Amino acid sequence: MSFLEYRVKTAPTGFSKVFALNWALVLVVTAVAAIGWLMLYSISGGRLEVWAEPQMKRYVLGLVLMFVIAFTPIWFWRSMSGMAYAISMILLLIVEFFGTVGMGAQRWIDLGFMRLQPSELMKVTLVMALASYYDALDDKKISRPLWVLVPVALIVAPTVLVLMQPNLGTSIMLLVVGACVMFAAGVSFWYFGAVLALVVGAVASVFLSRGTPWQLLHDYQYARIDTFLNPAADPLGAGYNIIQAKIALGSGGWAGKGFMQGTQSRLNFLPEKHTDFIFTTLGEEFGFVGAFSLLILYGLILVFLIWAAVQNKDRFSQLLIIGVAVNFFLYLAINLSMVMGMAPVVGVPLPLLSYGGSATLVIMLAFGLVQSAIVHRLR
Amino acid sequence: MIRTPLRPLARILHARATGANPDAIERENLRQRHEVIRDRARGRAQLRLLFLCMCFFSAFTVVGARMGMLAASEPMEPRTAGTGVNIAQGRADIVDRNGRVLATNMLTHALYVQTKDLIDPARVARELAAIFPELDAATLERRFTDGRSFLWVRKVMSPEQMQLVHEIGDPGLLFGPREMRLYPNGQLAAHVLGGASFGAEGVDRAEVIGTAGIEKALDARLRDPAQAGEPLELSLDLTVQATIEEVLATGVRQYEAKGGAVILMDVHTGEIAALASYPAFDPNDRPNPLADPNAEPGDSPLFNRAVQGVYELGSTFKIFAAAQAMELGLVTPDTPINTQSLSVGKKRFSEFDNHNYGPTKTVAEVIELSSNIGTGHIALMIGGERQKPFLKSLGLLDASPVELVEAPGARPLVPKKWPDVVTVTASFGHGMSSSPLNLAAAYATLANGGTKVTPTLLHRAAPMAGPRVVSQQVAADAVMMLRRVVTDGTASMAKMDEYAIAGKTGTADKPKRGGGYYDDKVVNTFASVFPAEAPKYVLIVTLDEPVDRTGPEVRRTAGWTSVPVAAEIVRRTAPLLGLRPAIAPQPLDGLTAVKQ
Repeated sequence: MSFLEYRVKTAPTGFSKVFALNWALVLVVTAVAAIGWLMLYSISGGRLEVWAEPQMKRYVLGLVLMFVIAFTPIWFWRSMSGMAYAISMILLLIVEFFGTVGMGAQRWIDLGFMRLQPSELMKVTLVMALASYYDALDDKKISRPLWVLVPVALIVAPTVLVLMQPNLGTSIMLLVVGACVMFAAGVSFWYFGAVLALVVGAVASVFLSRGTPWQLLHDYQYARIDTFLNPAADPLGAGYNIIQAKIALGSGGWAGKGFMQGTQSRLNFLPEKHTDFIFTTLGEEFGFVGAFSLLILYGLILVFLIWAAVQNKDRFSQLLIIGVAVNFFLYLAINLSMVMGMAPVVGVPLPLLSYGGSATLVIMLAFGLVQSAIVHRLR
Repeated sequence: MIRTPLRPLARILHARATGANPDAIERENLRQRHEVIRDRARGRAQLRLLFLCMCFFSAFTVVGARMGMLAASEPMEPRTAGTGVNIAQGRADIVDRNGRVLATNMLTHALYVQTKDLIDPARVARELAAIFPELDAATLERRFTDGRSFLWVRKVMSPEQMQLVHEIGDPGLLFGPREMRLYPNGQLAAHVLGGASFGAEGVDRAEVIGTAGIEKALDARLRDPAQAGEPLELSLDLTVQATIEEVLATGVRQYEAKGGAVILMDVHTGEIAALASYPAFDPNDRPNPLADPNAEPGDSPLFNRAVQGVYELGSTFKIFAAAQAMELGLVTPDTPINTQSLSVGKKRFSEFDNHNYGPTKTVAEVIELSSNIGTGHIALMIGGERQKPFLKSLGLLDASPVELVEAPGARPLVPKKWPDVVTVTASFGHGMSSSPLNLAAAYATLANGGTKVTPTLLHRAAPMAGPRVVSQQVAADAVMMLRRVVTDGTASMAKMDEYAIAGKTGTADKPKRGGGYYDDKVVNTFASVFPAEAPKYVLIVTLDEPVDRTGPEVRRTAGWTSVPVAAEIVRRTAPLLGLRPAIAPQPLDGLTAVKQ
């Protein structure tokens, strides 16, 4: 029994789609992006053309892309899922094997106006592929081992490719997003429990064996793990960014130093101040109040997404929205805990704020899919 | 689970009977079953969604809380890495009993050179030698250019010197912060404090370790990070210590002595209020130990005579024989004792200067006159097998337990065998040696009513009740006898109106290195307690090789040297210790009433 005809009948058509969009989501997303422009303007010392203007242009491009995707019926995107996944896989393979030879270890493909990172694209297409897989799969088969293996393969293949780049942050995100979609689709708890136990056991055995005659890694490998987990031990090396970021956040205090008054980020103490560590500028200039407001905006976006997922009765749409929400959440959770010294530095941008084309475009693309699911939902 | 059949027979038959299509019933049932399955799946999915939401929410809470924590935190620059991260800093201060600082830390800088970064080694060497006179330009230049990449130049330096080095302006000259130990009072209490120096050194910090005195003895406590903020409170009183050091220095010069030591101790708690040894040194700049292996250790100012100086303490020991005999019930203060002659085997004992005190004297008079023969007779009544444990119970035969690293090394010299000759000589403090600090503890035992005292340099809140050594009555009688030594006997120079001192003099010939004794080298000791009516403090004054040339003849007995020094100390420190002088009633001669 297909829901397709039913949806076609109830979905708005033509211009009326504009009214079916979730405009609140668009507004909040734009607000967050605007905060990003302010920050980029401040970091570049009050110049638009350095970072703020290109970022605005990308956002507008992303917005257009979002509307185009949103007005295209969701069932079209469902049927395109497999194709999208295959294309991103091919792009990943291209940067993996030809990027190293021909383009000097690049992770991106130059599109002329921007550089596209296939690994960022993969975050969305993976979600699409998994959602359409579970949409097509019979409920009874969800937890059968053979039918679990297929999505696992879909997740692991790009993860391994990204890990080889090497890009730890993105590969972690791919793994977790995939697992969350599988979880939401209803795969038995036992699989997740088993994987979790396996990971915990492996980590524990690696660390517990340390110092014993049969330790599993070499001493220098343990030393690297130590620095990775506790960068503060190496304040001039791996820990430099984190410590400077903490100083920036701490010096911002409650109300901040004021717009354009941050010293820590503008005096070039922070190498990644306009990309991964942009949050520190916000914390320094607008203090806890500003940073917490941003957190609330992000929370609002997540609430919109989850509400859209709960309301949507179509399985593909629901899983897709959940995947996008998890994706978005992971971006900001990993970035914020990294900046605040709670997690190792893995190189994940702050969504919509950090300077960078791929992440912004991909996030807007994902929101376009979500909007399409909202517009063409089952009524 | 009970499954509804898709084609229930009753309904099919009924449908057939009524002419309806029975397939419609199957379709309807199938639809219902699918709906049930779908609803269950949706319910499960929403449950899982809720679970994910909770994960989101908790992550948001953690991030928000962390944000608040960071906003509330004080921004702090990273504290150095590299070498020396594990070197503990923040050695605890040392203060006196009133909280005045005796030892603290000061931030200064060490100077090191990274030779690869030097632009002009020759110029740098020349200018450094001009700033630091102990450096030699040629040597420095050679060391800058002999291939090593790293070189220490100075461990510490003053801010002015640091500025001058800055002005050389060479990028190869680098500074490392150094926390160094500072003794703001200079030589005051030098022997107690000892000194400190750098242990493990990194570029950015160095470990300060104690090298002598209480700094070394309590090194672990001072370095304990858990107690870094709490200063170590000593029992010393800085003003009393300063007064005593001044009087001692004057006394040593006046009596042309080699050196001297003073100990002032609370008789009840064993707290040492002052401990001085002359000559002293500056712990900020500790002199090197004597290089000459044949030199007497006492020639070095580092030598702590009060603790390390193991001397024959002479007649000061006589009171112990009297006290023990009274404790054993053998004598009372009034028991007559033979003072005519004493022979043990072939050995004949005589009095100092071959005095003759007559055929008998009472025990009190024996002490007062310091009769060797009389004390020897008392000691023989006690016997060696009882005398030795008694001296041990007073702590005279063991190294002092005081918190100084030098103390355990200064073991009293005690004869291995204890025949009657030793019994007699030990009773007047010859043939065995102990430190002035041990003597102070033993006198404190007699002065506090008879309980053993453990000397300490740490400030104690409450008195430590040691085991009882002699009865209260015996202790009181002993103090009474000591008082008579001052009022009527050999220590009459300690007699003054304001404060009643009780004490015993002791003069011992210095032993020669090869054996035998010097005729003209003595150690003079005055062991005293005050105020005599209710003793609170014990004061030991020891002078090494003093001589009094003020009189018509050269005198080397304690009564003429140590006693006046002790009297001066009491006169000056008693007010500082809160003791009130006894005021003699003034005749009211010149008083006239004013008429209105």
